[in-house]
Amino acid sequence: MNWNLDTDHYEVRFAHEEDIPNIYALLSTKGVVKHHPKSPMVVEAQAMDEARRMVMQFEAKEAAFWLVEEKMTGKVIARIRLQKFNWINASGQLVLDIFPEHKDSAKVAEILYAVLTLAYEDLSLHRVEWHLQESDSGSIELASLMGFQHEGQLNSVLEFEGQWIDYQVYSMLNNDENWQRAIKEQGLPKG
Amino acid sequence: MKFVANVDFNGGQLRPLDKSDVDSIIKLYQKQTLAGQSESASREHAERMVELSVQMAATQRGLMWAIEVDGAMMGMLSLYDWQPTSLKTLMRLDVLPGLSQQLQVDALRSGIDYLAQKYHLRNFSFQCLPEGEGAIVDVIKLAGFEQQARLRDFRRISQTEYSDILVFNLILAQSAEGEK
Repeated sequence: MNWNLDTDHYEVRFAHEEDIPNIYALLSTKGVVKHHPKSPMVVEAQAMDEARRMVMQFEAKEAAFWLVEEKMTGKVIARIRLQKFNWINASGQLVLDIFPEHKDSAKVAEILYAVLTLAYEDLSLHRVEWHLQESDSGSIELASLMGFQHEGQLNSVLEFEGQWIDYQVYSMLNNDENWQRAIKEQGLPKG
Repeated sequence: MKFVANVDFNGGQLRPLDKSDVDSIIKLYQKQTLAGQSESASREHAERMVELSVQMAATQRGLMWAIEVDGAMMGMLSLYDWQPTSLKTLMRLDVLPGLSQQLQVDALRSGIDYLAQKYHLRNFSFQCLPEGEGAIVDVIKLAGFEQQARLRDFRRISQTEYSDILVFNLILAQSAEGEK
């Protein structure tokens, strides 16, 4: 199975050793991590540790991480992952870390379509969830535009900096009309 | 060392499981009540649950109480996916037909009060199937739970079929700041 994905404008690929500065650049940016929620990284050693965790979680079949490299510039603009695989219920959870200036519907649609295709076709997942904070209005707008369906709210999932964090639950099923249309049109809606 | 406490409630008590409960556990686990366990219990499975209930409580991953009324085991109140650092847990309630709704509510409330006081848990949730679980849904609503989400096709029930899950939640009114 080929885990590296190729789209018109991006290489959606696994990280390698030379990506530590790319991971650090991404995850030290407040605008990237604030809705997850996480504190931005402050030293590059944290990115090394994160890279190790990415490998370990993949080897344990708990998650898969891709960096999104723009073909034209070679710049890594995002990291996307599928995590919390539940192989019994055929589900997984999507997380997108992306530089705010690249968070537009055309780019996200292209990246997401590649990863969801792998999720449904190669990994045989039935359900992909996307948990988003209500304050992350940009991602909520994108999730709705891409055809994810809002299912409700999970309350007080975790505590971050003294606040309890709620998540809005969005999902896309492999037999959803929106996904079937995306297959037919070979892409998610770009807005 | 005792990892599961006895908790009295009006009309009965929550107590640790023991080996004499095996027959009652088998009766309780003959239907698909709530998410978390789908199979019906065999004797071997029920015996393992008694052992597991101690291990789960010792490691704070879960907990299983027998609901005892007038000396008879009439149900179980269980915790799964107990996350001590996030102060939350997923619950499951199984009852035999003779246990009144009021006693079920009282047992559930007493368990929650105990867990809040002893372990500072504040976020309790139930997952229910949308069909055939009306009686349990009524009980948890009476205990203060509210439906927060309906997760589509969340649970696989056969190779090609899935079921939605209803998520109910009770958050106790304590702030994170207050708990610190």
